[in-house]
Amino acid sequence: MMAQGVYKEKLLEHYRQPMNRCDGAIEAADAIERGSNPRCGDEVEVGIFLSEGGLDKVQFRGRGCAVCIASASMMTEAVTGMRVDQALRLCEQMHTWFDAQDDAATFTLPESLQALGAVREHPARRKCVLLSWEALAAAIAGAAA
Amino acid sequence: MSVAAQSIGDQVVIDPALVRLDFPIFETWESERKFHYLDNAATTHKPTRVIDALTHSYTQCYGPIHRGLYPLAEQATSNFESARRTLQQFIGATSPEELVFTKSATEAINMVASGWLKPRLHSGDVVWVSRMEHHSNYLPWQRVCKERQAELRIIELTEDGQLDLSGTPELFADNTKLIAVSHISNVLGIENPVAALCSAAREQGIPVLIDAAQSVSHLDLDVAEMGCDFLAFSAHKMFGPTGIGLLYGREERLSGMEPLLVGGGMVDRVGEDSAASQWSGIPARFEAGSPDMPGAVAFAAAADYLVSLNRESVRRHVASLTQLAARGLMTIPGVSLLPHAQLPRNGIVSFTHRELHPHDLAQVAGERGVAIRAGHHCAQPLLSYLGHSATARASFSVYNDEADVQALIEAIMSAQEMFGG
Repeated sequence: MMAQGVYKEKLLEHYRQPMNRCDGAIEAADAIERGSNPRCGDEVEVGIFLSEGGLDKVQFRGRGCAVCIASASMMTEAVTGMRVDQALRLCEQMHTWFDAQDDAATFTLPESLQALGAVREHPARRKCVLLSWEALAAAIAGAAA
Repeated sequence: MSVAAQSIGDQVVIDPALVRLDFPIFETWESERKFHYLDNAATTHKPTRVIDALTHSYTQCYGPIHRGLYPLAEQATSNFESARRTLQQFIGATSPEELVFTKSATEAINMVASGWLKPRLHSGDVVWVSRMEHHSNYLPWQRVCKERQAELRIIELTEDGQLDLSGTPELFADNTKLIAVSHISNVLGIENPVAALCSAAREQGIPVLIDAAQSVSHLDLDVAEMGCDFLAFSAHKMFGPTGIGLLYGREERLSGMEPLLVGGGMVDRVGEDSAASQWSGIPARFEAGSPDMPGAVAFAAAADYLVSLNRESVRRHVASLTQLAARGLMTIPGVSLLPHAQLPRNGIVSFTHRELHPHDLAQVAGERGVAIRAGHHCAQPLLSYLGHSATARASFSVYNDEADVQALIEAIMSAQEMFGG
C-alpha cells in the first residue's frame, strides 16, 4: 500500500527498521537521558558517545508510535558526526520549525529529516516528533555538567 | 417528534441519514467524502436548532438577567429560567432550584467537593470513587481528601470490567462520607448500576454523586429513579454549546452547600465583615457573575432536540452501533477490546492493537475521514490498572450509522496493512 499523509515511505522505513536502536540497555555512553510523554506512554532514552567535542555515536531505545520511533531514528543519523553545539542548535531548530505557524521561519528541514515534514500539519503529534530531540538536548547538557 | 424519528410498529426508530441533515458540520466536511465522526465521547456536534437558539439569544433577546427592569432584560431572564425548567424536566428533578448552571461537568464536581464535602470531611473519613473514573471525578476528591486528612478509596473492577461492589463491603461503612461514580465509563463504555448503588447508599445515609457526562446524550436520565444526591454533566457532550454544564443536587444537599465562587448575583446582603454577609438562596448562590444565558437557552434546545428524537430510540440506536463496532473490531487479528469480555457497551468501545500504537491507528483513521480518539482519555488510574498507557477509542451518536462502523473497521485494517510493510 502506498504511504499517505503523515506516513511517508521514508518515515515508515525508519519505523520498521530503526537506525541506532538498542534492544537492551544503552551501555558505556557518556550521557543518557530519558524523555516521556505521559499522554500516550511513549518513552525514549537517548545515549550519546562523545569524541573530541563531537557526537561520535548516538543511540536510542524505547517505545512509541511510528512518528516517535522514526523521528528518534532519523535524529541519530542526522546528528552523528556533528559537534555538540551544532546538534544543540539543530534541536532548537526542530522546535522552532515545528512550532512555526507559517513558513517565515528561516529554517528548513535538512534532507535527512524531510520525511517528518508532513507531521507538522498535526500539532497533536508535536511531542511524538520532538521527544527524542529533547532527550538528546538533555543528554548533551548532562554530559557538559 | 423529529422527522428523523419514525414509528415502526410499536417502536420509534431514528434514521441517522435524516439526523445528519440537522447537523450543518456534516455538510461542511462532506464535500468530497463521508465524514465518519466517532469521537462523540469527547464532544458532540451541534444541530441547527441549538445554533439557532444561541443566535436568537444574541440577536433577538439579549440582556442582563436577574437585574434589569426593562422588557428586554425581563425576557432574557425569563428565557434563562425557562431553560432551567426544561432541563429540570429533562432529568426528572423535583424543582428547578435543584439545577445549577456551571461552566462544565468538571466545575460541577469541584463545587460539590469544595462546597459540600469539604466542610463535612474529617480525618478518618473515607470518600469512594471507582477505578474507571475520568480525572474530573477523581482529582477533586483526591485533593479534598488530602486537605482534610481523609482517605480516598477505590471501588475496584471485576475481571469483566464491572464495579466490584460485592468485593467492597466497606463501601457503606459509617465513615464513608460520599461515593462518586460515573454512570458510563468514558473508556470502557460500561454502564454502572447507579440506581442500585444509590439505593444501598441511601439506606446508610451516604450521599452519591453521579458523573453523567457520558450517559446524558443517549440514556434517559431520571434523577428520581436513579436516587442520586448529585449529578453532573456538560452541554457539549449532548449536542449543546461548549462552556456550560449542569449540577443537579437534591434540595437539602444544595441548601447545605457553600458557593465555590462569591461575587455578584449570589448574595442578598453584604456586611462589613464576612459573617454579616448573607448568601442568596439556591440556585442563585452558586451562579456568581453574569450567567451564560445564551448558553443555557441553547443547552435547553439541545435537551428538546434529544427528546424530539425519542430518547429510547436514541439509546437503542447508539447501543446497537456500539455492539456492531465491538463485534467488527474483534474480528481483526491483533485487535483487543477493553475489557476483554464481550459486555454490553454503551456508546464507547476502546481497543488496542498488538503491534500498532493507538496514535498511529487514529492518525491513519483520520486520514481516511474516520475521527477516533487515541490517548489515556483522562483516565490514567484505569489505564494503569489495565496495563496500558493509551488506547484507541471510537464513540457513537445519533448521526452515526453502519457505514461509519464499516469505515472504522476498514481504517484499522488499512493501518495494519500500512505498518505491516
